[in-house]
Amino acid sequence: MSIELRNISKRFGDVAAVQNVSFKVAEGELVALLGPSGGGKTTVLRMIAGLEQPTEGDILIRGQRVNDVSVQKRNIGFVFQGYALFKTMSVADNIAFGLKIKKWPQAEINDRVAELLKLFGLDGLGKRFPHQLSGGQRQRVAIARSLAPKPSVLLLDEPFGAVDAKIRQELRDWLVHLHDELSVTTVFVTHDQEEAMEVSNRIVIFSRGNLEQIGAPQEVYERPSNEFVARFIGVLNVLELRVEHGVARLHELTFPTHGVAEGSNLRIGFRPYAVQISPDLSEYRYRATLKHVYFLGVQLRLELETPSGLTLRTRITKDEFVRLGLAEDKEISFQIREYRVLSRDGFALSPEVSAVHQLPSIAENI
Amino acid sequence: MAGTTQKRWTSGQAKSRRGTEDPWYIRWILIGVAALFAGVFLILPLANVFGQAFAKGWQTAFGSLTDPDTIAATKLTALATLISVPLNTVFGVAAAWLIAKFEFRGKAVLTTLIDLPFSVSPVVTGLVYVLLFGLRGYFGPWLDRHDIQIIFAVPGIVLATIFVTFPFVARELIPLMQAQGSDQEQAALTLGATGWQTFWHVTLPSIKWGLLYGVILCTARAVGEFGAVSVVSGHITGITDTLPLRIEKLDKEYNSVAAFSIAALLAVLALLTLGLKTWLEHRQQRELDLAQTSSDSPDEH
Amino acid sequence: MNWSGLQRVVAGIAAALVLAALLRTLTRQEPGIVRLLNVSYDPTREFYAEFNREFAQLWQQKTGETVRIQQSHGGSGKQARSVIDGLRADIVTLALGYDIDAISSKGGLLPSDWASRLPSNSCPYTSTIVFLVRKGNPKDIQDWDDLVRSNVTVVTPNPKTGGGARWNYLAAWGHALHKPGGSPATARDFVSKLYRNAPVLDTGARASAQTFSERKIGDVLITWENEAMLLLREHGTNRFALVRPSESILAEPPVAWVDRVVTRKKTAEVAQAYLTHLYSDAGQNLAAKHFYRPSNPAVAARYEQQFPPMRLFTLAEIAGSWAKAQAEHFADGGIFDQISSR
Repeated sequence: MSIELRNISKRFGDVAAVQNVSFKVAEGELVALLGPSGGGKTTVLRMIAGLEQPTEGDILIRGQRVNDVSVQKRNIGFVFQGYALFKTMSVADNIAFGLKIKKWPQAEINDRVAELLKLFGLDGLGKRFPHQLSGGQRQRVAIARSLAPKPSVLLLDEPFGAVDAKIRQELRDWLVHLHDELSVTTVFVTHDQEEAMEVSNRIVIFSRGNLEQIGAPQEVYERPSNEFVARFIGVLNVLELRVEHGVARLHELTFPTHGVAEGSNLRIGFRPYAVQISPDLSEYRYRATLKHVYFLGVQLRLELETPSGLTLRTRITKDEFVRLGLAEDKEISFQIREYRVLSRDGFALSPEVSAVHQLPSIAENI
Repeated sequence: MAGTTQKRWTSGQAKSRRGTEDPWYIRWILIGVAALFAGVFLILPLANVFGQAFAKGWQTAFGSLTDPDTIAATKLTALATLISVPLNTVFGVAAAWLIAKFEFRGKAVLTTLIDLPFSVSPVVTGLVYVLLFGLRGYFGPWLDRHDIQIIFAVPGIVLATIFVTFPFVARELIPLMQAQGSDQEQAALTLGATGWQTFWHVTLPSIKWGLLYGVILCTARAVGEFGAVSVVSGHITGITDTLPLRIEKLDKEYNSVAAFSIAALLAVLALLTLGLKTWLEHRQQRELDLAQTSSDSPDEH
Repeated sequence: MNWSGLQRVVAGIAAALVLAALLRTLTRQEPGIVRLLNVSYDPTREFYAEFNREFAQLWQQKTGETVRIQQSHGGSGKQARSVIDGLRADIVTLALGYDIDAISSKGGLLPSDWASRLPSNSCPYTSTIVFLVRKGNPKDIQDWDDLVRSNVTVVTPNPKTGGGARWNYLAAWGHALHKPGGSPATARDFVSKLYRNAPVLDTGARASAQTFSERKIGDVLITWENEAMLLLREHGTNRFALVRPSESILAEPPVAWVDRVVTRKKTAEVAQAYLTHLYSDAGQNLAAKHFYRPSNPAVAARYEQQFPPMRLFTLAEIAGSWAKAQAEHFADGGIFDQISSR
């Protein structure tokens, strides 16, 4: 194991920023720490780096307990949110800094700097100063700087937060390629779940200091372990149902009661792909209007509005959209193919219990 | 399609385009007021100093500067300055580092203490030293028994100068370092740098200009300090007179030409200091420009 | 600037050397040189500059020892306080006995009977209080009574801070007492009017002199006789004229050596010789040259022209003693405070 956290907790005064977090990162893995602001993910990253000390628990890097090892000696590379480039030094000097500290011979330093400049597409910028670079360039210098001394672990704190959306996409791809090439164990913090999904081998999801779920992107998307993860990753349609007359209902939508007592509440969630639509009003059991159509290139995001005013979200490919002859404001029929029970009587359900439920097709309906 | 249409500003539009600028006469009035103010309070007195100094010709003026008592005063001022400025610089940097990068209990107290010399009248400062180290003071008997003279001797003058110039470097650096945050320092740590290496390679270069400015202010104040030094000096001609005290003494001896000659010297020093600061700023700008032009690369993302 | 380690070390050493050199030149104690510190009041600068040179020469001839006399000048009271606070004066030459009394009583640095150790109550020279007026005396100021006229502005220092200032006050007080029908009440009235005619009260004699001479404030300056004569010589009779009132006070600025200091520094012999020299013919002549009245009658007789005889009353006559005068007039809540607050 490259990195291991065992029962890590961090308290700032009375505030618990991180509570009893444990996970492992394998050698060469690219792991994302994902969660909303204040979730504790940056704190965890900094504790791995040694910039913060855990209140409880152990941190191990390559099998060695490093709680008492200083930042300087942990052999990690850290990329800060604002890059933290040394403003008074040139790009080359920035990159060379770690090597100078390690007292590499000057010739070797020059070679390594040149190598990194080339690798990172920064040729010819060696003599420039940080304030003369674009955001994307600065980001790459920051990463180059941290990788120059060949650390065993690379840590990045919201690395793409400060750049334009387009650049962000390019940088993400570039990071993935870089990781492929260098195979450095990489952990990065992000609040952007799309980014985490796209880039990482595994995602660790944090919420309010707690570790909610850890798994590969597909796993956390398709099998979220609780409502928080389900809502945070991807889009989730959530319905609050009330059990009346033996049926769990929200306006015109009905579902099985799943054992909930009469008069009690039931909450279910389902992904956009679980909503099937058709221009044929008799194909599916419910009606709705295509309220909004959002073009996202090949995929289209659709918002349906039922006569009772419910909004549901679904997706469809452009080809499918055209083939079905759909358009905004068109009336369609829909059904919900599968869903998950999130909470019963107000109590959240564990992943084992809230399995995905398939709804019978219209033909089998009550 | 008719020929190309050219957009021309109508006169009304032209005026409104400059709507955010004040009418010319307002600008000139404001400039005039500022110039008048500067002239009356800065330039006239300065010109008077030089005028009075050279009232009896160049030779008299320069002659008064080479008077042995004046030379002794110059040496004493130089000594007090050369001791207090480096000490306060080191202290100022350390204090600013502490305050800007760390959280600790008593931080507010430290910040207030640093500002103390500003809020205390220099004369009071001098009196406090007399109360502490004078013959009848707290440490007086002990010092007397060991034949150590602080007040009314050179050490007292140096101490008083250190106290009044205490805050300058710190006050200049604290907001600067707070604004810079500690990210760069943390980055240096992750790259393996020790505390000292971080300070020397990362922190110091980024506070370079603020530090220089603080040192300049500190020096100017050290050279010109009067009140506190006057109380602890003892006014022994040729021994415990600093330049400002010497000016006062010469004035009391009805030797206004000599007094103004020294004042003119101090004024020249002040102007030189300002010039130095401006030159330093220019050099900084040049450094940046050179770095810009020295690298050639296509502009991309 | 990127200085290599070597450059930094060299710079550090250079700086340290400069500092060390400076320190040495300032605190060097050359062997075989005796140093005396004479703490004096303001107007005596010129006098002691010359006297010190003469005495040093004399001492060198007599004993072969080199003596260097350092001078400190300032307001008499302030100087006394400095000595009490530790200014190591071998010799004090102040404006009034009261200040040296304070050094004795508050500082314990010399015995209370110090005045009896030298002739003439330890006053080698005396002075008096006179008036300096503008050239041509346009306001026709001849005597004390002219100073309380409504159209006359007077320049005199603050008796609470200045030594000479107290002589001024007591001279005025004395004159009022001596007028027919004079009493403490009328005297109080008189000084009250006098000080109300003073637009500004400087801290000391020199400051007042500068106010009168350079800032050109006031019609008349009340000051030491020697100051007035000095100003006259400096600026010539083109600007000022000296007026001697009908009577004035005998101002006796005393001198003393400071036992504690001279014992410790082992300078008792030379300090006493220094003060004794003030009483010698050479010393007395020098005093007269600087417009001080020699206390030696024989020498004084030679300078009658320079110092026309004046009716001079003493402090003892009009106020008893300095302690009494201080308590009655100048202490907090004393007569001066009372007339000022009105």
